[in-house]
Amino acid sequence: MKMLRLAAAALLTWLAGGLAAQAADPLNVYSIWPENYARPMFQEFEKATGIKVNFLRFSSGEALARVIAEKNNPRIDVLFGGPVETFAAGIKEGIFEPYKSPSFAKLPDRFKQADGQWTAIADDPLVFMTNGAFLKANNLKPPASWDDLLNPAYKNMLQMADARTSGTAVTRIFSVLEVNKRDEAKTFAYLKKLRRNVQVYTKSGGGGTLPVGLGQAGGGIFFIVDALETKAKGYDVVVSFPKEGIGSSAEAIALIKGAKNVEAGKKLIDFATSPAMQSKLAEHKVNFVPAHPDVKTEASLAEVLKGATIFPIDDDYAGANRKRIVDRWIKEVLPAQ
Amino acid sequence: MTVAAAQAGSWRRVAADPTLLAILAAVWLLLGLFVVYPMVELLMRAFVDDGRFSLAPLLESLADPSHRAAFFNSLFLATSVGLFGTALGFLFALTAVRCGLGRHWLTLLDAFALLPLVSPPFTTSISIIFSLGPKGLITHDLLGFANVSPYGYWTTALAETLTYFPIAYLTLRPILAAIDPNLEEMAFILGGSRWRIFRTVTLPLAVPGFANAFLLLFAASLADFATPLILAGNSFPVLPTQAFLQITGMFDFKGGAVLSLILLVPAAAVFLLQRYWVGRRTYVTVTGKVGQRSRTRAMAPWAAVLLVAGCFLVAALIAYFYALLVWASLVVAFGANNSFTWAHYHVIFTEGLPAIRDTLIIAAIGMPLGGFYGVLVGWLIARRRFPGQRAMELVAMINYALPGTIVGIAYLIAFNDPPLALTGGLLIIVACYVFRYSPTGIRATVALLQQIDRSLDEASSSLGAGTGETFRRVTLPLIAPAFFAGLGVVFIRSMTAISATIFLVSISWTLITVRILENMTELALGPAAAFSVFVIVAVFVVITGLSAVLVRLRAPAAGAAARSFLGG
Repeated sequence: MKMLRLAAAALLTWLAGGLAAQAADPLNVYSIWPENYARPMFQEFEKATGIKVNFLRFSSGEALARVIAEKNNPRIDVLFGGPVETFAAGIKEGIFEPYKSPSFAKLPDRFKQADGQWTAIADDPLVFMTNGAFLKANNLKPPASWDDLLNPAYKNMLQMADARTSGTAVTRIFSVLEVNKRDEAKTFAYLKKLRRNVQVYTKSGGGGTLPVGLGQAGGGIFFIVDALETKAKGYDVVVSFPKEGIGSSAEAIALIKGAKNVEAGKKLIDFATSPAMQSKLAEHKVNFVPAHPDVKTEASLAEVLKGATIFPIDDDYAGANRKRIVDRWIKEVLPAQ
Repeated sequence: MTVAAAQAGSWRRVAADPTLLAILAAVWLLLGLFVVYPMVELLMRAFVDDGRFSLAPLLESLADPSHRAAFFNSLFLATSVGLFGTALGFLFALTAVRCGLGRHWLTLLDAFALLPLVSPPFTTSISIIFSLGPKGLITHDLLGFANVSPYGYWTTALAETLTYFPIAYLTLRPILAAIDPNLEEMAFILGGSRWRIFRTVTLPLAVPGFANAFLLLFAASLADFATPLILAGNSFPVLPTQAFLQITGMFDFKGGAVLSLILLVPAAAVFLLQRYWVGRRTYVTVTGKVGQRSRTRAMAPWAAVLLVAGCFLVAALIAYFYALLVWASLVVAFGANNSFTWAHYHVIFTEGLPAIRDTLIIAAIGMPLGGFYGVLVGWLIARRRFPGQRAMELVAMINYALPGTIVGIAYLIAFNDPPLALTGGLLIIVACYVFRYSPTGIRATVALLQQIDRSLDEASSSLGAGTGETFRRVTLPLIAPAFFAGLGVVFIRSMTAISATIFLVSISWTLITVRILENMTELALGPAAAFSVFVIVAVFVVITGLSAVLVRLRAPAAGAAARSFLGG
C-alpha cells in the first residue's frame, strides 16, 4: 500500500512537472519531415545552440492548413521540411516572414525564394520503388518508364500518397505534368489510367513504403528518402527511375509571420540551411540530398542517383496551380475506377 | 392545476432554493458553452454565407457524387455492422447464458469479448492489413489466395464488427439472462421441438434487445472514423473520414461542417429512435423467482457445443490480432527482420514520453471533473424537479450521441477565434472529453438513484437540511459507484478516443492515439504497436483499480455501474 502511494505521488509530481514545462516557451516547430528524420536534426541543433525544439509532425497539406488557420494567432515559429510547392502555396497566403540566412547567397536559385520567404535545406527526388519478390513472381523488370506502371500486372498493387494531405502526391502529379510538357489533358488521362493500378492512396507520403516492403503492394512512387529507409530496414525493395525523368522537390524551411520566438527561429534556419546540419544527414542515415553546395552527397546515395534523369519542380508554376490541380485530381482521378 | 400554474409553482420552488438555483445556472452555463454554442457555430458555418442564410453549400455538397457515395456507404456499412455485430453479440450472449460454461471459461470469454472495446483505435485495423492482403498471413500464407486487397467494404465491416459487437453482447446478455429458462423447459416438456422453442419462445422475447443492440451498433459504426481511415481505401469512402480529410487536408471548414451535418441526420435519428422507442421497452416477461439453472434440456448438446466452438473461434481470432500487435512491438522490422528488441518501447518512453504525459495530464484533469459533472447532472435529473428538466437531460446527451467527428469539428470552429480562442490549449481537449463521455456517468447516477428511495432525501429535507447538505451527506455517498464509473469512462476514452480530439491536438498538447495514427502513417509500425500495447495495459490497470474500489464500496449496483464503463 505504501509503495502504491509512493508510486502515485511520483506519478503526480511528474505530471505536474509536465504542466509546468508547458508554461515555458521553447522553439515551436511544425515538421513535415517524419519524426525519425527530423528528431536527430533537432537534437544536433540543441547540441549546437542549447535551444530545445518542441515539434509536431504533420503531412504537408495538414501543416500548411494549420498554419493558415492559425494566421491570426501563430502557435509556431518555424515550418520545417516539406516540398517547396507547399511553401510556394503558403506565400500566397502571406504566412511567412522573409529571412535570409548566411548560407542564402551560396545556394543556387532553385533552392531559395528570391525574397527569402523560404530557403531549401535538402533536395528530395521521387523514385519508383518496387517489391523484389513481386517483380520476380510477375517476371517484371524494375519499372523504367512512367508507362511501365500502367502494366496490368500492377493492377490493384500500387500504393502512393493522397493529394488531399500529402506533398509527395503533389510533387508526383507535377512530375507527370512536366513529363507531359504541362499538357493537362494528357496528364490527367495518364493519372486516370494509373488509378486502375492503385490499391490505395495513403495519407502520408511514406505510408505505402511498408506495404510495398512486405509485398502487400507491388510498388509505388515515393520520395527517395523514404524508399532508402525502407531498404535500410531490410525489406526486399528495388529503387528505379523513369527514363522520361522524374521530379525532385527542394525541401524547405521558413520563418512564420508573427512568430513569438523570432531569434531562436532564425538560429534554426541558419543551422538547417548550413553544412552544420546537412553534413549530419548521412551520419544519421537520412537520405536527403544536401542542398548546400559545400556538402557532398554521400557515396551510396550518389550511386543510387547515378544516371537518373531528375528535374526540379518549378515552384512558381506549382505554387500558382497547386490548389486547382489538386482539386481536379480529387474530382477526376480519385473517384475513377 | 393548469400547466402554466404548475410551471409557475415549480419556478417558485426553485427560486426559494438558492443552492439549486446556483447549480442550475452553472450547469446551464456549461452546457450552453460547450454543447449548444459549438453546435450553433457549426450550423452557422454551414448555412450562413456573408451574413445571409443559404442552402447552397449543402445542396452543392449533396450534388457531389463522391459525397453522395460516402453518405450511402456510411449507411450501408452501419447497417452491416449493426446486423453482423448483433448476430455475434447474440452468439456470445446465448453461449454465456445457456451453455453452462464454468465461471473461469466465462471470464475468459468476457475478457476476449471486451478487449476490442477498450483498445485504442486501429489495433484490429493494423492486424487486418497484415493478415488479409495480397501477401497477408491469413489470405496468402494460410489460404493461398493471391491479389486480394485488404482495403474496402469487407475488411472495414469486419474490423468494426469485431470492435463493436461487445456492445451487442452487453445489451443482450442481461435480457437473455432475464428470460426464465423454466419457460423454455416447460415448452420442452409440452413436446415442442428445440428449434421450435428457440424460434417461438426465446427469439421473440429477445426482439427488443435485438433492436436496441442494432441501433447502438449502427450509431457506433456511423461515428467510427479511425477504422475506415486505415481500411476503407479509396473505393469505399465514408462520411466521417471524408469530413476529416476536408478539414485537416484542406482546412475547408465549410465543406467539413456541411459533410458532418449530413452525417448528423442519421445519427440523430438513430439516437432518438433508440432512446424514445426501443430503449423504453421492458423485456422482462416473467415474474416471480427466476430459475437459477443455466443449462436446460431445451438446448441440444450438439447445439451447445456448436455455440461454444463459434465463440472460441471468434475469441481466437481476436487473440490472434492482439498477438500480432504484441509481436510487431517486439521485433526490429515486422516482416523483414524478426529479431527481438525492446527498442520500440524505448522509443515510446523517451521520444513518445511527452505524448504519454500529455494524455495522462488530460485524463487526470478530466476524470474528477467528468465524474463530478456526471453525478451532479444525474442527481438533478433523477431527484430534483425544475423547469427545463427534460431539456437539460437531452442537451447533456448531445455530445455523447453525435459522432466524434461532428463534435470535434464544431469545437474547432467555435473555439478557434476570439473571444473564446481555446484551440491549441489543454482546456478544449478536457472539455471535449468531459462533455462527450460523462453522459455515461449521468446514466449510471440516474440508474442508481432510481433504486434508492426518494424518502431518504425527503427525510433529510424535512429535518432542515438544504439542497447542498442533502446532496453532500445523503446522496453523494450513495452514488459514489456512479462517480467512479464516470471516472473510468473518461479515463478509458482519454486513452483510446480519437475521432473528436484529432481536430483539437496542438503543438503543446498531443495525445497517444494521435501519435499512433502518425506513427502508422510514417512507417513506424513498431512504435505504433508499442503505444497500443501501453494503452491496453494502462486501461487494464486503471479498470482493475476502479473495480477494486467499487467492490470495496459494496454498492448495490456496483456491478451495473462497472459494466457501464463500457457503455460509451
